[in-house]
Amino acid sequence: MSGVPFTSTAEPALPPAPGFWNSPGLRRFRRHKLAVFGAATIVFLTLACIVGPWLLPYTDTFIDIRNRFAPPFSGPHVLGTDPLGRDILARLLMAGRISLAVGFSAMAIAMAIGIVVGMVAGFYEGALGAALMRFVDAMLCFPSIFLLLAISALISPSVPSIILLIAMTSWMEVARVVEAQIRSLKTREFAQAAVSFGASNRRIMVRELLPNAIAPIVVAATLNVAHAILAESYISFLGFGIQPPTPSWGNMLDSAQSYLTSAPWLAIIPGAAITLAVTSFNFIGDGLRDALDPRMDGQ
Amino acid sequence: MIAFLLRRLGQSLLLLLIVSVIGFAILHLAPGGPLSQFAAGGDMTQADLDRIAEQLGLNRPLPVQYVEWLWRMLSGDWGVSYRDQQPVLHIIASHLGATLELMLTSTLLAMVIGAWVGILGAIRRYSLFDSLATIGAMIALSIPTFWFGLVIIYVFSVGLGWLPAGNRYTMGDGSFLNQVHHLIGPCIVLALVSTAVWSRYMRSSMLEVVNQDYIRTARAKGVPERQILMRHALRNALLPMITITGLHVPTLLSGALVTETVFTWPGMGRLFLDSISYRDYPVVMGILMFTAVLVLLGSLLADLLYGVADPRISRSGR
Amino acid sequence: MNKPSMKASGLALPALHRREVLALGAGGLLAASGLGARAQSKAPPPPPAKPSGQVVVGLSQEPTAFNPLMPGIEVDETVWMQVFNTMWLAQPDGSLVPDLAAEVPSEANGGISEGGLAWKVKLREGITWHDGTPFTAEDVKYTLELINAPGFKARTRVGHSLVKDIKVTGPLEISWRMEKAYAPYLALLSNTFIVPKHLLEKAADPNTAPFNGAPVGTGPFKWGTRTPGDNIQLVANEKYHGKGPYLEKAVLKYVPDQTALYAQFRTGQVDLIIGTGIPANFYAEAVKLPGRKVVKIPSASLEVLMPNLEHPALSDKAVRKALYASINKQAIIDIVFYGLHIPTESFMPQESWAYDPNLPKQVYDPALAGKILDDAGWKRSGSGVRMKNGVPLEFAVSTTTGAALREQCQQLMQQDWQQVGIKMTINNMPAAVIWGDFYTRSKFQSLLVGTAFRTVIDPDPAHRFGSDAIPAKSGNGANQMQWQNAEADALMKQGQETFDTAKRKEIYQKLQVLVREELPILPIYQYAPVEGYKEGLIGYQPNINARQNTWNMGQWYWAK
Repeated sequence: MSGVPFTSTAEPALPPAPGFWNSPGLRRFRRHKLAVFGAATIVFLTLACIVGPWLLPYTDTFIDIRNRFAPPFSGPHVLGTDPLGRDILARLLMAGRISLAVGFSAMAIAMAIGIVVGMVAGFYEGALGAALMRFVDAMLCFPSIFLLLAISALISPSVPSIILLIAMTSWMEVARVVEAQIRSLKTREFAQAAVSFGASNRRIMVRELLPNAIAPIVVAATLNVAHAILAESYISFLGFGIQPPTPSWGNMLDSAQSYLTSAPWLAIIPGAAITLAVTSFNFIGDGLRDALDPRMDGQ
Repeated sequence: MIAFLLRRLGQSLLLLLIVSVIGFAILHLAPGGPLSQFAAGGDMTQADLDRIAEQLGLNRPLPVQYVEWLWRMLSGDWGVSYRDQQPVLHIIASHLGATLELMLTSTLLAMVIGAWVGILGAIRRYSLFDSLATIGAMIALSIPTFWFGLVIIYVFSVGLGWLPAGNRYTMGDGSFLNQVHHLIGPCIVLALVSTAVWSRYMRSSMLEVVNQDYIRTARAKGVPERQILMRHALRNALLPMITITGLHVPTLLSGALVTETVFTWPGMGRLFLDSISYRDYPVVMGILMFTAVLVLLGSLLADLLYGVADPRISRSGR
Repeated sequence: MNKPSMKASGLALPALHRREVLALGAGGLLAASGLGARAQSKAPPPPPAKPSGQVVVGLSQEPTAFNPLMPGIEVDETVWMQVFNTMWLAQPDGSLVPDLAAEVPSEANGGISEGGLAWKVKLREGITWHDGTPFTAEDVKYTLELINAPGFKARTRVGHSLVKDIKVTGPLEISWRMEKAYAPYLALLSNTFIVPKHLLEKAADPNTAPFNGAPVGTGPFKWGTRTPGDNIQLVANEKYHGKGPYLEKAVLKYVPDQTALYAQFRTGQVDLIIGTGIPANFYAEAVKLPGRKVVKIPSASLEVLMPNLEHPALSDKAVRKALYASINKQAIIDIVFYGLHIPTESFMPQESWAYDPNLPKQVYDPALAGKILDDAGWKRSGSGVRMKNGVPLEFAVSTTTGAALREQCQQLMQQDWQQVGIKMTINNMPAAVIWGDFYTRSKFQSLLVGTAFRTVIDPDPAHRFGSDAIPAKSGNGANQMQWQNAEADALMKQGQETFDTAKRKEIYQKLQVLVREELPILPIYQYAPVEGYKEGLIGYQPNINARQNTWNMGQWYWAK
């Protein structure tokens, strides 16, 4: 389910890595074959989605009624056509632009909210921190799909609002991770030293604590992209997704169920694209976790 | 212990209050309302719609409606459905059985398979099986549940004709076998994610235990490997696993909603979806509160069990 | 997802024959099907002496409202029409047949007098409620009074609010007066189910009476059990006053998805599909299913593009004409709906006695559309979108999300209009949002909607077209496009006050010509949904004048 990629971040909190670009980490990442595979796939997908549509003879919205429901690998349309005769490959690539953009943008917003809330809550603790974290807990009491569904009713289904919607329902885990990190980091010597030098709270948070918490944040960010792409497909499936004619991997699937017997490729192709992209991000996240965890050094 | 329980209880009640405020606000601020369904047909006039809104009390200020709802809730009255005219608790109860049946069987399935894969993976670490299991688990976590459901239906119902495409049983045939037959598809779909989670946690949990001193000691003493694994390692690895199940409740509920939608399973997930689209506020609020209680119970249980399993865990909490 | 009741109610006159021909011309797919009536033409076996067997009716929406006077959607009527009765009932040919009443009142038989101000109804003898209590005129009086009772959540008071001075003049005789002559009331009463006084009276509040969860009526089936979210079981009322029931049990099975419902029909888990029916894309496959009868049924619902006439561009009649001329109706019907639906020019279903078959035919002609716009001063701008006095020819079309075929329809329109220099965007919303204030307070730019423009089975469209029926302005009515036209107002007033069918027909034909010219709605097609049933089920008969085709379920039985 859409909440799932996060279950992995819930694993025991990582101690801070000394720095991100240290070579042992990079080496460990490279040693992680699946992560490399994931990264390569994402690069490939991204390039294909950016460049691909220019190379194809059809656009994603060109309606070719005579060739509707053409099966894949059977004619000029490589991956077949949809109920209006539009080229599925062209739509898949354009949809990829949207879905990847939704994934990255939602992640960026969710990270921003999560980091700020987590940092403030972790740094100040006390009443403010408790209030913020109780709010986070309350948001996490809603199963994510329930929250998505309830909020999607609030907004009209455009690309920016879907991004906001996903971000609004996926920042909580990030806040938790960051809060725990900051709370433990601020008792460490370097933080105490900064305090004694009279640095401002903001400076301590942003310059001293945050960089040291970067490892779990990067992992969470990667998994967050995976989560956002999945979430977009769920919203579409439940009928609240991005509106036609703009394609997204999610809304390419939303009417697929009724064509499952007659044109199964309508369901299989976009679903496979989602699975591939999400799996790749999860592989990267997994690799990053190993790479950034110094405990893995000895193994 | 008592003090810990009391504090957790207090925290939980506070959380429930916040949940209710957020839920109520989101629902009632959303455009549209429970009368929308009647407006499309064109045979009810605006005067009719306005009168019914007035009679339902939908025109009053939101805070007033919230306080009234909360007050009745505190006195044990969950309200009456707009769509169904039935008490909310009654409606939830009548859909709960189907959801529990699905969630429990799939959790059981996930536990058995997940634990087995995890243990085997830990024992034969870095073997082909371990690698495949790792990759499989990652993919399982990445597949959209509803899409997996569609694929299962396409292959096993449309293609092979082995499984029914939906429903809890065939009308007029309430036999146990018939129900089991209908349960297989949705159960597999819902269990997919849990199985992956279980196998991952089981593997790391086992690895941690295996490397601990007392296991090394036992091994040094010449206790057979099989006995070490089954008697010592497994028992100690299983306990923290139970807590995972508790924390997994929200994910499972979300998954149930999607699975029920794909397999037209008459459970709480379908009810929630229908109630949201009809803006049946009392029922939606009822389900939200009910699931929030489930989630909090799950995490409380997880904490308690964790404490029991490992007394070193401090209960200072946050 | 919930698509609020799209199919509406009935009308009149047996135009089935012409309609079939039309349908053939339009779709060419009809050949394999047949109307239910045809199945019975070869002398069916006689019904069983005693109720036996059961039928499983598949529904894609769940019936949840069981008090027939309270708010409900169409699917709820599947239950109402089994458990309850109305005073008279509309037949497939449009005639009204007395049910609880002994005869249908008219000016000829003296039931309606003083130019429509005084009404008198005689009720049938020997009817009992399911609990054994005799049915009397007091029940009818109670029903009409309950609808107007201030605290009662009545579904609609249209027509009923005019009723005054209800008098029970005998155990089975009732009379009342109307505040003004209102011809459509006869039709409204054909959809007003009579509820038992002795049960509802006892409840402290009829809104929450136990009756509402376990209704008791006079109909062919008695309330049995309900599994919420799954099914409702009804059992035969052996003391029924009419024909039947022949089935021992009827199960109304809720399957929340049309595709899944069709799959269950195919595998035989449900015996028939009614209401939202079989999705168009399965029609060709469904007619070939062995052991199943799949029929295109007549429906009174129309798919229209409903412009908001206060929109700066759409308020211009020339724009509406150009839009209409550049909709490729035939392509939409043939491609998206597999030729099922029937193109239409009227707001009236083609089977109605008031339907005007001579309205000008819409022809897909983008060049003409361009010319109309040029003449009206809408000039193409640099971006390709036409402008006039700084107003761009640009608007949004909204419909419910998740309606895949409608979305395809929108995209075809979008492409056609773009070529004419009209920019259309798609702005779909969930049902609960779109049919809320967005619709009722006319906040939309335009809608793609399936709806009806009559009063139950009466052709009167006053609450949809009257300038005093604009909810955003007067707080009443259902004229969401905000059409204001004095000529139309006058015609509709005349129509309501006239009881003579021939005269009314003339009035409503004039109105249809006017609506076709002014285009307050752009009619696209009249629905022809597909229903299906298992071979061997006798008695199923589509009825365009009933809200659901379970209207005569009491007379269904299985051939042995």
